[in-house]
Amino acid sequence: MLEYKVASVDSVIIYFANFISKENVKLVQQNYISLKKLNNKGLIDITPSYTSILIHYDLQYFSYKKIIEFLDENIALKTDVTQEEGRLVEVPIYYDEEVGFDLQRISQLAKLSIKDIIELHSSTKYSVYTIGFLPGFAYLGEVDEKIATPRLESPRSKIPKGSLGIADNQSAIYPVESPGGWNIIGRTYLDMFDKNIEGFSYLSVGDIVKFKPITRDEYIKNGGVI
Amino acid sequence: MIAGGLLSIVEDFGRFGLNDKGITNSGVMDEYAYIILNKLLRNPPNTNCIEITLGGLKLEVDDTCAIAVSGADANFSINSKKGDIWKTHNLKKGDLLEFGFAKKGARIYLGVKGGFDIKQELGSNSVTIKENIGTNLKSGDKLKFLDNSFDGYNICLKKEFIPSYEDNLTLRVILGYQENYFDEEQIESFFNQAYKISSQNNRMGYRLESKPIKCKIDGIISEGISFGAIQIPKDGQPIILLKDRQTIGGYPKIGSVLPIDCFKLSQLKAGNFINFKPISLEDAQAKMLKFKQLIP
Repeated sequence: MLEYKVASVDSVIIYFANFISKENVKLVQQNYISLKKLNNKGLIDITPSYTSILIHYDLQYFSYKKIIEFLDENIALKTDVTQEEGRLVEVPIYYDEEVGFDLQRISQLAKLSIKDIIELHSSTKYSVYTIGFLPGFAYLGEVDEKIATPRLESPRSKIPKGSLGIADNQSAIYPVESPGGWNIIGRTYLDMFDKNIEGFSYLSVGDIVKFKPITRDEYIKNGGVI
Repeated sequence: MIAGGLLSIVEDFGRFGLNDKGITNSGVMDEYAYIILNKLLRNPPNTNCIEITLGGLKLEVDDTCAIAVSGADANFSINSKKGDIWKTHNLKKGDLLEFGFAKKGARIYLGVKGGFDIKQELGSNSVTIKENIGTNLKSGDKLKFLDNSFDGYNICLKKEFIPSYEDNLTLRVILGYQENYFDEEQIESFFNQAYKISSQNNRMGYRLESKPIKCKIDGIISEGISFGAIQIPKDGQPIILLKDRQTIGGYPKIGSVLPIDCFKLSQLKAGNFINFKPISLEDAQAKMLKFKQLIP
């Protein structure tokens, strides 16, 4: 499916599908990356999500008719299998109850040991589905269904910067301290959002993410805070 | 700064091209008042200024400069004497600027010739408090400006271009988006009832209150959100999303407000009333293009 809808006076949303799947997310990502690469001055913001891309366009460059023509020319409806997978990014994580406040809760719900949870979580390769909620907050999928855990009923008022969480079958790192309801399983010392790094966000839509368990010592030595 | 007031922040048109990293556009809430401010000062269009919400800012000038004030009328005074707004003023060292509480309108813009000397963050001077980009001005803060030429010119805006900031407003809405998620009678009542602006109104969005609008679905797959989008959350009370809105979200939307009308909405306060009327996309685009002609 491909559907264009008027989202506002100067934005159009492209729907690629009406349900979330790996294939659909890939289709969105490939089109997002190719639209972004065009570097077209008339495209102000390109915001990809699970099944859609929102385009904020400049009315001085495009009318609605023109933008639809332009998108029709530039959107691909088949995922390009020859296109390489996204950039592989490794993120070091100190998985421990000391910083992973909900490891025990997941262990009880999933009837698995904490060691098994860490093993399952860190052996999966994740794809960055979309970025939002907070600057640099990357939604990663998909978490192994054995450890997929619903959000906390009542969100915590403070989750420390760098915390790694699980919500259903998604995972994410809090780039800054924030309130939140995800199940926290570990922490990274990396800055997920930094105004001084290229692109500002450590992760971009389409990246492939792999978590690497590290010890408490390694975490502290690299600037990690307990 | 002697007093910062409720919320006084440096803004410009905002930052663009970063919604895909989760960074909002930010920028001045009322672009009309901002564009006029820089025109009065003969500044380039994107020159930064201070956006004062409701008033309360008090500051002392420590060098000669030319300033202008636009937006809401908040008993602006220079050295305790009433100062005109929508007008430039030439100031000297020691002059005291003071804003009371906005009687009509909600946002005041204070600009200086040449702008304030502040390093851009992510391509803009716009403060976004929720993203830890910049902070609210407070007592003791200093803002440097570059241009201390005292050129003596005095410009004021023609009366016919000064907005009156009424307490009631009709907002024009572009449909064509997700209105299929709403029954016809729900859309009808959306357009026929008056909405009160709730106390939950800020730079992210304005929450409204009236008879709830029912949506056929609970939520949608999270997607990008446009400026002016009208979200209908589960409680049926619309939220109009503005400059500091979240970049993605999962509530259904009944339409989106014409940006020109969002600027006017930004001058309303809790307790004011609005209604909605539809506008065609062609008409809306023509009105926006005409508005953009204001920018030199």
